Amino acid sequence: MQKVLDLIKNPSFKIAILVFVLVAFSAGLVGIYFTQIPPEQPILFPHNRHVNLQIQCLYCHSGAWKQASAGLPTEQKCWACHGQLKKYFDPVVPVSEWPIELQKLNDYAVNNKPIKWVPVYQVPDFVHFNHRPHVAKGVACETCHGDMSKKTVATLEQTVNMGWCIDCHTKKSANDPVLQAKLLDCGTCHY
Amino acid sequence: MANHNIPEVKANWEETSGVWGMSIDMDVCSGCQACVAACAMENNIAFVGEEDSGYGRSLHWLRVEHTFEGEYPEVEATPFQPIGCQQCGHAPCEPVCPVFASVHSKNEDLNLQVYNRCVGTRYCANNCPYVARVFNMRDYERPEPLPNQFNPDVTVRRRGIMEKCTFCIQRIHQGQDKAKADGRELLDGEVVPACAQACPADAIVFGRLDDPESKVSKLSKAGRGVKLIEELGTLPRVTFLEEEKTYGRTG
Repeated sequence: MQKVLDLIKNPSFKIAILVFVLVAFSAGLVGIYFTQIPPEQPILFPHNRHVNLQIQCLYCHSGAWKQASAGLPTEQKCWACHGQLKKYFDPVVPVSEWPIELQKLNDYAVNNKPIKWVPVYQVPDFVHFNHRPHVAKGVACETCHGDMSKKTVATLEQTVNMGWCIDCHTKKSANDPVLQAKLLDCGTCHY
Repeated sequence: MANHNIPEVKANWEETSGVWGMSIDMDVCSGCQACVAACAMENNIAFVGEEDSGYGRSLHWLRVEHTFEGEYPEVEATPFQPIGCQQCGHAPCEPVCPVFASVHSKNEDLNLQVYNRCVGTRYCANNCPYVARVFNMRDYERPEPLPNQFNPDVTVRRRGIMEKCTFCIQRIHQGQDKAKADGRELLDGEVVPACAQACPADAIVFGRLDDPESKVSKLSKAGRGVKLIEELGTLPRVTFLEEEKTYGRTG
C-alpha cells in the first residue's frame, strides 16, 4: 500500500498521467476531426459553378424524385455537356492545356472508365432511407445537403443520426396522428 | 418505500382483423421447399452449414413442417405446413424483449425485429409458440460469389441477432411507395412476398386483411381456415386452409 502511495506522490508519475490524459484527449480530437473532413473525390467537382449555371440538382442526381437512391452521375452524363463545350472541343486547344479536373474527366470519358464517386451522406446498413417521399413532400435538397451554390465538393452539412430524423418527422406530422404513426414506426426505416 | 413512478404497463390489444395477412392452402402445397429457398435468397439468410444445422441453428425464416401420425400399419402423413412468423396481433414475443427490439408496428400491424436494438437475449424465441424465430449463433461465412446476390433492401444480420419472417416488409414498402408515386391506392395482389412469388402451386396468398374484397380475406373467411394454436389468443395473421383431400393426395 505504502509503495503505491509513494508512486502516486512521485512527480514523474503525475507528469506521466498528465501526458497520458493529454494524448488521449488529442487522439479523440483528431478522431473527431477525421469524421468531419469530406472524403476525397476522384474529381474535385465544383458544385457551385454548376448550380450557378442554373443546372437542376435532379439533372445529375436523377433518382431523387423517383427512387430510394438519388444516384451519382456517370462519366457519360458529364460528357454529354462537356463533350459539346466548344472551348474544350476545339482541336486548337490540346487536352494537356485543359483545366486539370477536365483532363481527368476526359480520361474517364474517352477510356469509358466509371468515375468512382465517394458517397458523402451515408446511413448504416440497417437503415433504409428513401429519397422519393422526401422530395415528393417538398423537402428542399438544401435542407439536408446544404447550399451547394457555395460549395465545391460535397461536404457533410448535417450529422446523420436517428435523433435528427425523428425530430423532423415529429415536427412534420404533429397535426396528423395517422401520418405520425407511419413516420415514427420502427419498421419504416429498419428492416 | 420510495415511489419510483414506474408506470403500470398492461397488455392492451384490440381484436382487430389486422392489416397484412397470408393464407396457405395445405391442400395444394406439395412441400417442394421453393418458398424456403426463395425466402432465403430474398432476405439474405446465411447458410449455416451441416454441423450447425445439426444443432438446430439453421436460419430459415420459413420451414415446411411434415409429420406422421398413428401406429405403424395405419400411418398417415399430416399435410405440408409452411410455418414462419404468424405476425400475431397479440404477440408473445413482444412484451418479453428487455430492449424493445421486438416491437409491434402500429401502422402495418406487423411484428418487427429491430436488428440494431437487438442484444441477443433470445427471450422472444423462447416465448414464441410457433418456434418462428431464429438466432445468429455466429457470423456465418459467405464465400465469393455469394455476397453478389445480397438483396440491398434487407439488412445483412451479424452474430448475436434474432431474426424472423418480416412478411417481406421491404416489398410492402416498395409497393406502397410505387403506388404513392403513381398517385393511386395499392392494388390487391400487388405486394407479393418472396415465398408466395416462388410457390409453383400458388398455395400462398398474401394481401390486406382489412380489405374485405381482397383475395386473402375471402380465403381466410371461407370456412376452411384454421389458425395455429389460436387458443393462446395470439391473433395470428396467417390462416392455413384445411385439407379437403380433393386433389387425390392421401398421404
